[in-house]
Amino acid sequence: MNIINMAWKGIKTDFRDIRTLFFMLAFPIILMLVLGTALSNAFTTTLPIDDIDVLYKDTTDGAALQQFIQQADQSGIEFKKVTIHTDGKKEVKQGKYTGYVEVTEEGVELYVNSGDSIGGNILQGMLSSYVDKYNISSEIMKVAPDKLEQAFSGGKQTNFIKETSVNPTKQPGSMDYYAIVITSMIVLYGAMSSSSLIVGERVRKTADRLIASPVRKSEIFIGKVLGSLVSNSLCVLLVVLFSKLFFKANWGDHMGLVFLVLLAEVIFAVSLGIGVSFLAKTSAAPKVIIMLFVQLSSFFGGAYFKLENPEGIFKFITDLSPLTWINSALTKIIYANDFSAAIPALTINLVGAILFLLISIVSLQRREGL
Amino acid sequence: MNVLEIKNLTKKFGDFIAVDNMSLTVAEGEIFGFLGANGAGKSTTINMIAGLLRSNDGTISILGKNNAKQSRFAKMNIGMVPQDIAIYEDMTAYENVKFFAGLYGLRGAELNERVVEALEFVGLQDKHKSYPKSFSGGMKRRLNIACAIAHRPKLIIMDEPTVGIDPQSRNYILTSVRKLNEMGCTIIYTSHYMEEVEEICSKIAIIDHGKIIAEGTKEQLKSIITNTKDVWIEVKTTEKVNLAAIQDINGVEAVSVDENFIKINSDTGVNNLNKILEHFMNSHIEIRSLQEKAPNLETVFLTLTGRNLRDQ
Repeated sequence: MNIINMAWKGIKTDFRDIRTLFFMLAFPIILMLVLGTALSNAFTTTLPIDDIDVLYKDTTDGAALQQFIQQADQSGIEFKKVTIHTDGKKEVKQGKYTGYVEVTEEGVELYVNSGDSIGGNILQGMLSSYVDKYNISSEIMKVAPDKLEQAFSGGKQTNFIKETSVNPTKQPGSMDYYAIVITSMIVLYGAMSSSSLIVGERVRKTADRLIASPVRKSEIFIGKVLGSLVSNSLCVLLVVLFSKLFFKANWGDHMGLVFLVLLAEVIFAVSLGIGVSFLAKTSAAPKVIIMLFVQLSSFFGGAYFKLENPEGIFKFITDLSPLTWINSALTKIIYANDFSAAIPALTINLVGAILFLLISIVSLQRREGL
Repeated sequence: MNVLEIKNLTKKFGDFIAVDNMSLTVAEGEIFGFLGANGAGKSTTINMIAGLLRSNDGTISILGKNNAKQSRFAKMNIGMVPQDIAIYEDMTAYENVKFFAGLYGLRGAELNERVVEALEFVGLQDKHKSYPKSFSGGMKRRLNIACAIAHRPKLIIMDEPTVGIDPQSRNYILTSVRKLNEMGCTIIYTSHYMEEVEEICSKIAIIDHGKIIAEGTKEQLKSIITNTKDVWIEVKTTEKVNLAAIQDINGVEAVSVDENFIKINSDTGVNNLNKILEHFMNSHIEIRSLQEKAPNLETVFLTLTGRNLRDQ
């Protein structure tokens, strides 16, 4: 009963504290909104392409190019004949045109601006298709001219490039991404408040009163840890539900497993806070240590911006962040239905939690008082 | 019946002996005063009685039961009013008392009844919904007491309960201590205010260097120094006063400074007032008044320890 009393008191005072509420509820929601909106371009899965303007110079007398130009025009690619006074290559270099095509008896030459790589690639692909078709026609003309019409009886070729998306719906948008990483980051920040669980009693001088009462130290410890776990878990639950309902963040179809992973992180964070508070020599030190740890973990765990395929020492550092494992597990559960991804995240968090809890228990047993 | 019995209690912090083979008994119904300078071992002893510290040697018995073997029983019967205000600022007065009383196994209607009773006792019933941050120092001290008495302990330990509060609140607390005693509680009371201890305590122990150097009623303690008298000399400024020189005057037992007063404790068998005054004249110290005082507890403390309690 004393454990429940201690836990309930902790939960009640946590939810009364405006600063705690702001930090655990309002702060992550605001951060999701700001980062999710501001950095949405970094996560877009579609890319609008403006009209492609191309200069060309045709020194041949064939009509094949004109046919291609007419067909390309239907796809928003406008070909303009270069004038005598215009240097096509210079125009492309200055970015006025996406490309410059020179068609001579020797063949086709294409100049594109590397600054507009997408437009250049599209143009290059279309021209390649056109050239391939032209070459085939030439070869057929050489060996069997009467078969030419039959060979291209499929009609006019208009689809020079076929676009195909791989898993178009299985990519997190910016809000989806930041909902995951900000939530996991704020869970880790829970270590800040849990570092005050015992130290706070000492600072307030209520520790002596608790020890003077007929309550065992173990009951005080368990009650406080339990209260902090419940408070933090409730905050996480509210943040996840808010992001799901109001930001339409994708939390997947396996919310139970998602919460299990987040709960393991809550346990780790609370244990980390209380463990560090026993290791630190002063009452102010734990918060500084935890702040530093959470900031570095957040940075290398991709909480502020997405880290694409880190390599070498950078990968080693990112792997040291518990958030890397949590975020990776959550992403795989949500987007790939990969339940096995939860195992390393759960293991790392629970082993870490046991380690810090053991440090706390041994320190508490050795101390006189709390 | 003895509510508290301490036998050969010793507590060491490294090489420092804070409490040295101390023995004492506190009988039921007493208000037992603990007097001692800072570092004398007073708080260490109190903390061991309350179960906050473990002793290196000796035994503490509460109501006849060994504290170490039956700590739960001891704790159930002790109410601790710590020197530092130990309350939660983010909980109302009512919630503070309820939380701490709840730790003593009180539940439901009985718990609520005891909380109300404790708050009424300290005069905070009207403020039961208020948060302590809106309280004055005196009100916080009273709430500090309410948190310690709601479970109706047999022994209440009050460690400096009147530090830093206004005279009105101090009177209220002293009256409360007497009332609690009348209701059957045995009280251990420590204070730096000698007059408080003299006023309310039925028995007093003076502790110095971890040992009890004197114990008894205030009359018994004063009788220790009936062969001395106090002379208080008020001077314009104490700058030129040479305490060592006064101490060397024949018959002077102890001398101390309290604001503009030079307090001299002398042997009654030696007539040395002329020599004392001569010293002041020769030192060109302007005397404003001179009073001969009957010995009080402060004189007893000063004589026994050679130190002034409030100047520590």
